Amino acid sequence: MLTCKQVSNALSKEDYEKLSPMRKFFLKLHVKLCIFCGKFNGQVMESQDMCRCYKEHEQDVESARPKLDTDKKEALKQLLAEQSKR
Amino acid sequence: MVNRSFAGNVVLIDSSNDSLNNQLAKVDYTIERVSNPAHCPNSSSMSDPKQPKVEIAPPDTWVDRYGDYLYGFAMSRLRNPEAAADCVQDTFLAGIKALDRFDGSRDIKFWLRGIMRNKIVDQIRKSIKENKVDIADEDEALLESFWFKYSGIATTNPDPWQFNPRKYYDNSEFWVVFESCINQVKEPARQAFILRVLEDQTTEEVCKVLDVSPNYLWVLLHRAREKLKVLLEARWTGKDVK
Repeated sequence: MLTCKQVSNALSKEDYEKLSPMRKFFLKLHVKLCIFCGKFNGQVMESQDMCRCYKEHEQDVESARPKLDTDKKEALKQLLAEQSKR
Repeated sequence: MVNRSFAGNVVLIDSSNDSLNNQLAKVDYTIERVSNPAHCPNSSSMSDPKQPKVEIAPPDTWVDRYGDYLYGFAMSRLRNPEAAADCVQDTFLAGIKALDRFDGSRDIKFWLRGIMRNKIVDQIRKSIKENKVDIADEDEALLESFWFKYSGIATTNPDPWQFNPRKYYDNSEFWVVFESCINQVKEPARQAFILRVLEDQTTEEVCKVLDVSPNYLWVLLHRAREKLKVLLEARWTGKDVK
């Protein structure tokens, strides 16, 4: 049986998909039986799911993001014009 | 009688019918133009796999088209206006150099964003070198307690969410708040979170960039997640009450 430390190590640092079937089984078993690890795992999964959704919705927040300064834009335009001529 | 080849079929036409003859000549020419791209240099060929499938905007229009988008993206990852502007500039310059390798399979905006991801990692590496985090000075109490908790058997119960965030996944305002909460997380936990979770770098890559051990990265990610949860709860539930 894995300890809580080994479980949280595996959940936080290791790539779940790359774990061996035996390790996956004992991980699942521990997470099902241990109330602390179950909640910890739930919150890590929740956080990862939230970040995945955030990446999918990133276009929705584009309008709220800061814009490039006009001066910087002009300087960049000049630089790009010079570079594209080369 | 005139023998005219029309898309592989032989059509017999009365030579006295000039207008019909002219019309068919036009149709024939059009077919030839479509089937043989050498006759129309301005049109893109469908049969040539090397030809891009999407329009390539000329580099001198990139600033107007993608400047704000890329700057906003860089700001969401770097939080520093100077670094973000540098990142946009580096991305455009790298884009010009690599333009002949652009296969046209997707919009050039997303191709540039792909280049920008590498530039963001470079900027984070640069800022880490400039502001080296001393782990010994970094609140060691947290490290100790964390190690204590997970030294064998866990003894603390993580606090449950004060609201169900899943309910708001379709609300764009929630993601604006989420992004601003990420930006409020303290460095280097934020940088670790951005690289590992948002930029999908492997643990080894993130450890190399941040120059930390996997154990400390684990602590940083845990701290970032915890802080993000606290900030989101404070901002979002506070919002709901209003």
